[in-house]
Amino acid sequence: MGTEKIDILVGIASFNNARTIGHVVKAVDAGLMKYFPDKKAVIVNSDGESMDGTTDIVRSATHDHAAIFLSHPVYPAHRISIPYNGIPGKGSAFRAIFHKAVEMEAEACCVVDADLRSITPEWIELLLSPVMKEGFDFVAPLYSRHKYDGTITNSIVYPMTRALYGKRIRQPIGGEFGFSGRLAAFYFGQNVWETHVARFGIDIWMTTEAIANDFKVCQTFLGAKIHDPKDPGADLSDMLVQVVVTLFNLTEKHYEKWKGIKGSMDVPTFGFRYHVGLEPVKVNVERMMDIFRAGMRDLGPIWLKVLGPGDFGRIEGIGKLPGKDFRFSPGLWTSVVYDYAIAYHKRLLSAEHLIKSLVPLYLGKTASFVMEMEDMDNEGAETEIERLCMEFEEKKKYLVNNWREGGA
Amino acid sequence: MEGFMDVLLQPLEDFWRGFISFVPNLLAMIFIFILGFLFAWVIRILLMRVLAVVNFDIWCDRVGLTALIRKGDVWTKPSEVFVRILYWFLVILFIMIGLTALQLPTIDNLISQFFLYIPRAFSALLILVAGYLFAGFLSRAVLIAAVNSGYHYAKILAEAVRLLLVVLILAMALEQLQIAPGIVVAAFSLIFGGIVLALAIAFGIGGIDAAKRIIEGEGEAKKMEKKEEEEKGEEEKGRDIEHL
Repeated sequence: MGTEKIDILVGIASFNNARTIGHVVKAVDAGLMKYFPDKKAVIVNSDGESMDGTTDIVRSATHDHAAIFLSHPVYPAHRISIPYNGIPGKGSAFRAIFHKAVEMEAEACCVVDADLRSITPEWIELLLSPVMKEGFDFVAPLYSRHKYDGTITNSIVYPMTRALYGKRIRQPIGGEFGFSGRLAAFYFGQNVWETHVARFGIDIWMTTEAIANDFKVCQTFLGAKIHDPKDPGADLSDMLVQVVVTLFNLTEKHYEKWKGIKGSMDVPTFGFRYHVGLEPVKVNVERMMDIFRAGMRDLGPIWLKVLGPGDFGRIEGIGKLPGKDFRFSPGLWTSVVYDYAIAYHKRLLSAEHLIKSLVPLYLGKTASFVMEMEDMDNEGAETEIERLCMEFEEKKKYLVNNWREGGA
Repeated sequence: MEGFMDVLLQPLEDFWRGFISFVPNLLAMIFIFILGFLFAWVIRILLMRVLAVVNFDIWCDRVGLTALIRKGDVWTKPSEVFVRILYWFLVILFIMIGLTALQLPTIDNLISQFFLYIPRAFSALLILVAGYLFAGFLSRAVLIAAVNSGYHYAKILAEAVRLLLVVLILAMALEQLQIAPGIVVAAFSLIFGGIVLALAIAFGIGGIDAAKRIIEGEGEAKKMEKKEEEEKGEEEKGRDIEHL
């Protein structure tokens, strides 16, 4: 294949995904054949030196063409498995995919996770068509998720991204994205690959850079996202640090862009929205509350330094409430997130310590949300998230004013 | 009679000649003193301005140096403290240089010993400052990690880490200053070993009940969970929450 020019590139980042990657490759292959039969396409598997035969499965995965009702001749997409260099992580894997996209001058690209169990051929059409047919540069995913899932997205990343940049992209760190060759070249040209972007920070980085640099963005409804359980060794603190540090770094970088934006607006949305049956989720509220209370007991001086006496006093107040009455109001949570962003900007503590000290607060907020939503359906939960987003938008002035004092 | 006068005047003449040859040295010393005070004063003014421009006090707040000097009951600004230390260091340095101008062997000997000691004192100071910052950083990292893991004695653990590091740093600084190095190493070994032993005993013996409770609790919890799972059925078991 070498550096031959292609129309479509589909990237799959993997690490020990032998169990699921066969299904993902088959779905991608079928999607390309069914919806883009006349396009030259390549599937690039960027692998982190898997030991379980992931790359062999990528090369050998085949499917029954008759099963996808094709009436035209089919030409399977080429498949390439490449090991990536740099810091081990999803971002480094994506970098290798961007590199291939630039090298092969791909017109449109998309990336999908290797651990997906719910991917269908339609996902490929939904992620690529807005780029190929409608001229969009960036396509974010939109999923049906359980009301308790995606809590970092729901309580920090979505409300803050929406308030800062004024675009309602519901799943900014969804994991599956479509993007133009132009945007792939932009991503590849950035010097961020020694930071948290090389790991879990990649998703928020891609979304924010696309918005902040005025690329044409939209979102597309993919249905339910079901994937293999995450590696139990993947520590929440580390994930939160990687995502939130990247979010705050981007907030610093694009201050001039977001400071004047007020309110938010919908972005064009593709795909047919339908209700999906979702797997149940078990949540250990007690453990979350325990960690929140331990934080209140032992991290008090740090929280006081970051939040100031007013908000710290309010946190102490809710911490004294009995479990069933414990509620983290949207207003208080908004202040907490903005105070942390300001503290990060003013370098009050080392970045890692600062964001890790947010973990007990985040778990407190999550526990409060779970208790509040116990008797509500997904729509009720969505209404509550909307209320939180409005709070972030209304309090943005506080962030702007305090940011200036921080020396931006 | 002439011989007697010579004997009488000779010491006076010698003293006078000695005094005459000493006066330039004395004047040189006084001149160096005055120059030293002026130089130190100018450096003090300039440095105060530079530190204000680079927000040195804010930096000290962030890294915990302000808290450190407050613990020592010093309530002036860190920049002021730093500038004063440097000012007096320069003054003492010029006094020493001035004293060498007297060209007295005993003083020269003392001064050369003083100058040989300066690098050691400077290294010890660096060890203390860097060590204090490192101990604070590591102790905070342990505290946050322990809290996030749900460990109940996070603060005690963090303080134990800080204490161990402080003992280690003090021993290193004293060893650098060559203050009774043999005693320092022995004392350090005893204290450090004692702390480690105390912690081992505390965790080993003192934690028996806690460990028993945890094991029993876990056993009970597992039994309860299994029972609940059986009652509720597989479809209600569910999966863990996804944070991302």
